[in-house]
This record gives sequence, structure tokens and C-alpha cells, in this order.
Amino acid sequence: MTTATIILGLVVVVALAFDFTNGFHDTGNAMAASIATGALSPKGAVTLAAILNLVGALLSVEVALTVSNSVVKLQDSKGLPLKEFTANNGTLLMLIVFGGLVGGIIWNLFTWLLGLPSSSSHALLGGLVGGTIGGAGFAGVKWAGDGTKLDGVIGKVILPSLLSPVIALIVAAVATRLIFMVTAMIEDRFREKRFRWGQVGAASLVSLAHGTNDAQKTMGVITLALVAEGQISATQVYVPLWVKLSAALAIALGTYLGGWRIIHTMSKGLVDISSPQGLAADSSSATVILASSQLGFALSTTHVATGSIMGTGVGKKGATVRWAVAGRMVAAWAITFPAAAVMGCVMFWIANGIGGLIGPAVVMVILIGLSGYMWKRSRVNKIDHSNVTDEWHDGSKPEVAVAAHDIIDPHHELDEVQAPSAH
Amino acid sequence: MDMIPLALEGAWKVLAAGLVLGAGLPLLYAFAVKGMAMAHGAGAVIGQQTKSPAGKVLTWLCLLVILLAVSYGISFIVATGIGKTVTFDHVIPWFVDKKK
Repeated sequence: MTTATIILGLVVVVALAFDFTNGFHDTGNAMAASIATGALSPKGAVTLAAILNLVGALLSVEVALTVSNSVVKLQDSKGLPLKEFTANNGTLLMLIVFGGLVGGIIWNLFTWLLGLPSSSSHALLGGLVGGTIGGAGFAGVKWAGDGTKLDGVIGKVILPSLLSPVIALIVAAVATRLIFMVTAMIEDRFREKRFRWGQVGAASLVSLAHGTNDAQKTMGVITLALVAEGQISATQVYVPLWVKLSAALAIALGTYLGGWRIIHTMSKGLVDISSPQGLAADSSSATVILASSQLGFALSTTHVATGSIMGTGVGKKGATVRWAVAGRMVAAWAITFPAAAVMGCVMFWIANGIGGLIGPAVVMVILIGLSGYMWKRSRVNKIDHSNVTDEWHDGSKPEVAVAAHDIIDPHHELDEVQAPSAH
Repeated sequence: MDMIPLALEGAWKVLAAGLVLGAGLPLLYAFAVKGMAMAHGAGAVIGQQTKSPAGKVLTWLCLLVILLAVSYGISFIVATGIGKTVTFDHVIPWFVDKKK
């Protein structure tokens, strides 16, 4: 077994690990509203989301091999690795992808610890951009494309992330207002119950769309590494069945685990939603996601879902949106791409700088160590299916406060932290 | 900077589609629920004691349109998965190969 083969193995492992974090990071996008309104039990919601993500991912018969092309110059238009990266069985390319994926995972875990719904696609693309900067310099990054279509970091990441939450917010607000106008004369209890049915339907669509979109990204990245290493002939590129199956399973298992910290923020932190609002939010998310992928407008499911939930707060008279929480979230969105890029770049430098097998091995140790540490921190104020729907504590903001405090000043205990499971 | 008009054009289309379907379908669902309430009568509609059979017709009409739209949504997701796209070129939606 050569060094390149072992590095390839590590790339596959971290790609699936990223896919897994992608799953639990995004469970809330589809299910936060249904969990908040009680349309589905927390366990039922994650089970449904996991199954639909699996189905969605397995529907990915024709996988786009050019995932990274929108932001970095690693592949040609057919998805083949560029010549400058193919020396030494594509070790350089594999290390770039490896560093990028590790950077993406670390950022996903960190924002999960803080309970912030940041975009997994931005973490992946940011990590890849960082790895590319490390391996090929700034010239390897496609910042703006050629100006004829929306492309590059600006066209595929920055502009859509500014616009898509606003679009979702407007659609959800209008939907909410219309629903309450039509159903003004209906008794609350009757309305609440009937709207739950529709809500589950809309949430399911979001889940299914998520499975088809996001699992494909991992499949594309793994295949790129396989081609670079020479496992797959560059003249006949195909996505092996095991790649599809393992990516589909990884995202489904991640979804089933159910990033409860993020679901808590999305379902309780932003707006207190009733089931008509939940239907409005989920329908808005589903249509905005589907319409943009039809029109080739790249966007993040997370930004859309969060924008929709805020929109239902704006659209209902008398409802309040917790703008402070929303503000923190937007801050997390803004730094996700650069932060993942910095991490991806550092991880590439470590792996490539030390070189051989030791370099990637050191990065693996760092990844496992940081993941273990963050998991341990998460136990301090555990949020799971049993307390995910507890009321939001505006004064304490437990998950954010404890975690942030801990990172800034680990040797001090916080005074009077209110556990989220107060009742 | 040529990208901003391009992005706004894309955003405008998504917003338009979002408003028609993303707000339109919930509106239809709201009418469906209103129909259910009318058919249910007392306890569902504030101040109404009688059952109104027209409510059922309203409900089913709305649900039918919603189901059609949702099946389009699902067929679109499936199309994405198998590398095709859905067109309305022949009135009836049909799967075709993606434009390269």
C-alpha cells in the first residue's frame, strides 16, 4: 500500500465524516418548525428527516462531479483533476481536499457547539478554498468567474447568502399574513391541528431536497480524490456504488443524530411559532430551495430555512422576532466561509508541511482531539430530544453563553447558568 | 461589477416563484382549512353554529391543486437526482436531459 493510497483512505474517511456533520447540522432546516409546533415529536421528526435524506441521497443517480468548480480551480469542466495536481498520484490535490474537509468539519462542530445554524455548504466550500490557497496560492481560487454568469466566491457564495435569507423571509412573511387573513374566523385549536398536517408535508419536501443536494457534494469530492489517485480511470469517470451508498448513509445517520443544539435555536430561539406559521415557513423554504436549484441560483438551505422562520415572525401581527439571536446567527453566517477557509488552509499546511504520512496523521489527531473536546463541552449543557423544545432563556442563552465563556476563559465557572432543562 | 445585476436577476426570479408557490400554496391550504371548518360548523368557526356542505367542496378543490403542485415539486427533486430536468414544453410536465 503506497502513501498515496493511505492518504486517499483518509480523504474518504474525513469526507464521510463531513457528510455526517452536514446531516446533523441541517436537521433543523427541515424539522425545526415541525418540532416547535408539536406537529412531530422530536424523535419522529429526526427519523422522518433521516429516511427522506437517505431516499434523497440514493436518488442521486447522476452525481455532479464539479462541486468545487464554482470556487476553486482544481478540476476541469468535466470534473477531472487539473494536470498540475496529478503528480505523485495526486497527493497534492488529495491533501488540499483533505485539509479543506477537516477545516469544514471543525467549523461545523464549533458552530454546532454554539447552537448556531451556519451553512454546511459554506463550511465545505470555505474549507476547499482554504486548502487551495495553501496548496496553489490565491490564484487557485475563482473569486468572481468571468462575469457572464454567477460564479466564483462572489457569485456562488457571497451574493446568494446576502439575498437568499431575505427572499425566504419575504415569502414566509407574505404566506403567514395571508394564512391568518383567511383563517381569522377559525377557532385556534381547530386551526392549529389542521395546519400541522400540511406542515409535515412541506417539511418532508425540504428534507428530500436536502438529501439530493447535499449528499451529492460529498460523492463528488470523494470521486475527485479517487480519480486524482488513479483508482478511477480519468477517461471513464464514474461514481462507484459504494461511494453513493456510504455518502447516503453518512448523511442519513447524521440527520438521525439530530443536531439538537441547532434545532433548539431555530425552533425556540428566533420566534415562537404556531402551526400555521410553521406551514408558511416550511412551504417558503421548500419553494425557495427548489426554485433556486431549478434556476441555477446557488444558495444555502440553512440561510433559507432561518430566513423563513424569521419571516413568519415578521408576518404575524403581535409576534416578536428575537433579533439579538438572529444577529448572532447572521454573524456566524458571515464568518463561516472565511473561518472554514483559514482552518482548511492551516490543516493543509500541517499535512503538507510535515509531509509523508506523518503530516496527515497529525491532522487526524488534531481533528479527533478537537472533536472529542467539543463533544465533551457539549455535555456540560446537554440538549437532546428530551429538552429541545424547552423555552428559550433570553437572559442566560445557555448554549452560547457557556460555550463562549468557556473558550474565552476556561478556568472560571459561570455563575448561575440556567440549564435548558429547567423544568 | 457585472455580478450584482446577475444576482439580482436570479434573486428576482426566485422571489417571484417563491411568492407564487411558497405563499400561494399556503394560501390555498388556508382555504382548505377554512373549508374544513365550515363543514365542521360549531366549535370550528367562531360564531357559526350550522354545518356548511360547500366547505367540503372548497377543501377538496384546494387540496387537489396543492397535491398537483407538490407532485411537481417531488418530480423536480427526483429529476435533479437522476440528472434530468422537468419541462413544460409539451404542456404535460416531462423529464428531459439537462441542457449542457
